[in-house]
Amino acid sequence: MTEPFLSIRDLRKAFGSFVAVHDVTIDIPKGEFLTFLGPSGSGKSTTLYAIAGFQHPTSGDVLLEGRSLLSVPSHKRNIGMVFQRYTLFQHLTVAENVAFPLRVRRRPDAEVKRKVAEMLSLVRLESFGTRYPGALSGGQQQRVALARALAYDPPILLMDEPLSALDKKLREEIQAEIRRIHRETGVTILYVTHDQDEALHLSDHIALFRDGRIEQIGTGEDLYLRPASEFVASFIGNSNFLPAEHLETVNGSATIRLADGSVVSGVRIDQDFSHGQKTRLMVRPEAFRLRPGPATAGLAVEFIDTAFFGERRRVIARTAAGQEIDVRPTSDMAEAQEGIAPSRQQIFFDPAAAFLFPA
Amino acid sequence: MLLDYDRLGWLRAALLGFTGLVAAFLLLPVVFIVLLSFGSSRWLAFPPPGWTLKWYEELFADPAWLEAALTSARIATMAAILAVAIGLLASFALVRGQFRGRNTLRGLLLTPMVLPVVVFAIAIYAFFLRIGLGGTTAGFVIAHTVLALPFAIIPITAALEGFDKSVEDAAIVCGASPFEAKLRVTLPAIKIGIFSAAIFAFLASWDEVVVAIFMASPTLQTLPVKIWGSLRQDLSPVIAAASSLLVLLTLSLMIVTALIRRKLSK
Amino acid sequence: MSGNLLHRPPILRGPDGIGGALPALILIILFFVVPVVALLLRSVTEPVPGLQNYATLFGHGTYARVFFNTFLVATVVTAVTVIVAFPVAWMLAIMPPALGSIVFGIIILSMWTNLLTRTYAWMVLLQRTGVINRTLMDIGLISEPLPLINNLTGVTIGMVYIMLPFMILPLVGTLCAIDPMTLRAAALCGASPFDAFRRILLPLSLPGIAAGGLMVFVMSLGYFVTPTLLGGTSNMMLAGMIAQMIQSLLNWGLGSAAAFILLLVTMALYALQLRLVGAKRMTGGI
Repeated sequence: MTEPFLSIRDLRKAFGSFVAVHDVTIDIPKGEFLTFLGPSGSGKSTTLYAIAGFQHPTSGDVLLEGRSLLSVPSHKRNIGMVFQRYTLFQHLTVAENVAFPLRVRRRPDAEVKRKVAEMLSLVRLESFGTRYPGALSGGQQQRVALARALAYDPPILLMDEPLSALDKKLREEIQAEIRRIHRETGVTILYVTHDQDEALHLSDHIALFRDGRIEQIGTGEDLYLRPASEFVASFIGNSNFLPAEHLETVNGSATIRLADGSVVSGVRIDQDFSHGQKTRLMVRPEAFRLRPGPATAGLAVEFIDTAFFGERRRVIARTAAGQEIDVRPTSDMAEAQEGIAPSRQQIFFDPAAAFLFPA
Repeated sequence: MLLDYDRLGWLRAALLGFTGLVAAFLLLPVVFIVLLSFGSSRWLAFPPPGWTLKWYEELFADPAWLEAALTSARIATMAAILAVAIGLLASFALVRGQFRGRNTLRGLLLTPMVLPVVVFAIAIYAFFLRIGLGGTTAGFVIAHTVLALPFAIIPITAALEGFDKSVEDAAIVCGASPFEAKLRVTLPAIKIGIFSAAIFAFLASWDEVVVAIFMASPTLQTLPVKIWGSLRQDLSPVIAAASSLLVLLTLSLMIVTALIRRKLSK
Repeated sequence: MSGNLLHRPPILRGPDGIGGALPALILIILFFVVPVVALLLRSVTEPVPGLQNYATLFGHGTYARVFFNTFLVATVVTAVTVIVAFPVAWMLAIMPPALGSIVFGIIILSMWTNLLTRTYAWMVLLQRTGVINRTLMDIGLISEPLPLINNLTGVTIGMVYIMLPFMILPLVGTLCAIDPMTLRAAALCGASPFDAFRRILLPLSLPGIAAGGLMVFVMSLGYFVTPTLLGGTSNMMLAGMIAQMIQSLLNWGLGSAAAFILLLVTMALYALQLRLVGAKRMTGGI
């Protein structure tokens, strides 16, 4: 196996008795767009700060092309970074902000000028060079921050929730911008966010953090379709968790009994359960059908409320056991509307697309 | 990472060392004067050849010192009460008033703080000589109220700006009269500001030297005037004893302030 | 302030108008503006109407020396205060609160201790046979006592001591308002600590330095007590000279002319400061 580009080895960071990061290990190939996703306090930012050099890890190592970064001070790491808050230098113009990393590297004036122009055009702010950051919108400020972080062609770009202070529309606009810049520059990006949509939209791979550990790492599709734990399943996308009792497993296909007494077989599992073990069955809202299909299982429910969401209708239903579940049938509108009319009925799901987790 | 305490490296040691030196510099005269007041040398030799309480005995034996302290306390209390009362009323106008020249008015009311006090001292001295208030307690109180007013206005306006007016409006909607609403809702909410104002105003008068030197008469002397007079004669250790008591007073005032602030902010 | 209730019923307008400021306004006009204006009038009416008092002040070498001393001391005191205060304010802005509150406590203790007490301490410390000279001689740095009192050296030491808190406290405010992330960003951009200080931290604290520095300068110009006690009679500063003209020489005309010059310079510098940093910042120190 070839040497990975950036490698995080058994990284651990403790603040007193609180361990923020538990022995995290990841290898990141060159040109990758990797997102650290997780709730706040899950250790994703702390990991990023250790790479940037803002915090010294308790143990473990960070290697860039095989060389440890830990003894290198931040200003010599040659890493680019965009921050959550606007960290532009308020007393400098936009152009001077972008020029700053080149000035402190004592690059010749002509090169600085050329590079600043190139960067400002990369983030589409060519005509803003003489303005001060205070006169820019939040989105424009983050684009300047992006230009500043890329001006010295760093091999790695760290982004710490760069869009969290922006409104939804701007966020989407700059997400597209970030993807384009990743494509055009080929820079390796480590991106931290707590927003699953952002993670799914932007990254090649996602590392999902929980309590200082990586819960699962993979593509967005992996995490959505093959969640390794109930936590992953509930964090990525929407899920319903139905209490169930495990009866038996044959060839990786389980039979369970739901709370209303109905028995479902053909549930896919990748761990062992004992007979009678309490479990939870995860079914995505969009996995429900209003009509039975081949090999589907039925669930008796009562429709409580429906809401129209444009491309899809969302239904709140209550199971016979009294649990409220979220249903977003993927059949066409006419059918959905027709199907929703009666309040008590059966809905259906494919057991092979559902997951069983220990309770 | 110049603003990250944990990542400053050797620079932190250097800056902390420097800060320690400056703190020692600031503390030096205060500690020194207290030690000196217990030293037995009339010529202020340091370290003193022995320890004694005789300067304190001399201080308390001279009724002029106690009288001066009582005069100062009386004047400072009256000036502080007046400055806080007048300043509180003015602060409502300065923060909430919607009239032209509000900023000019603010500037005018704060001017006594920025004008060199010696200019005000001779001006008010001449004025009081003419209208017959020279050397009177009333004259002292008026002059010190003028000087203390900015120190009352600044913390009160700051507190008032941080207070949401709609809470007071809500009390009025609930049936309180505007006066009652201010008394029961607004004043309790800005009590820390009022308390700071009282402390600052008191200290502004209590420590005031320049106006007092001009205004003082043989029968009406504040404590700073008494110290000033002694200082100009000789550097007697009795002054060190008086000064140490003032340091003790400052310390207790700081502790009381800290305690009351903690209690009020709960 | 009142944008929360769009249509305020008349009853809610309440007594928050200009009326509340009347007692303060009357006090200030009657016992501040009138006396000061009356004093300034004396500068052009005594002993006879005309500008001869100003001509005297500007025409004599003795007075020129006092003006020079005053500006020299104020400039040196301001420069030293800024240089000493900056590192302290910097540490105070970022140090752990437990440690910081000790330093803050010392600053407040020094600031709140009676001015005469502090000056008295320096008079004793700085005299020929004082602790400082004795210590320096004992460790062999000097063989003769240094003249530290009754000259401008003594005035400068005493004044820096008094002005330090007025510089440190507003600067802490300025430095606390700078996001530490900005300095992290500078470091990651490749700026060495020296570059980050010179190009980012210092420029960003400049408003605070300017505000505090101007305040210290103006206060130093008109300071009376410390220069009088530590400077001796031959190194008079402006405020001391004004007091002497009135108190000892009873020359009201000349004294009020000098007072007017002091007032004018002070007000001009404050006006400059208000334009530079705004009124809020200026009073942020207390």
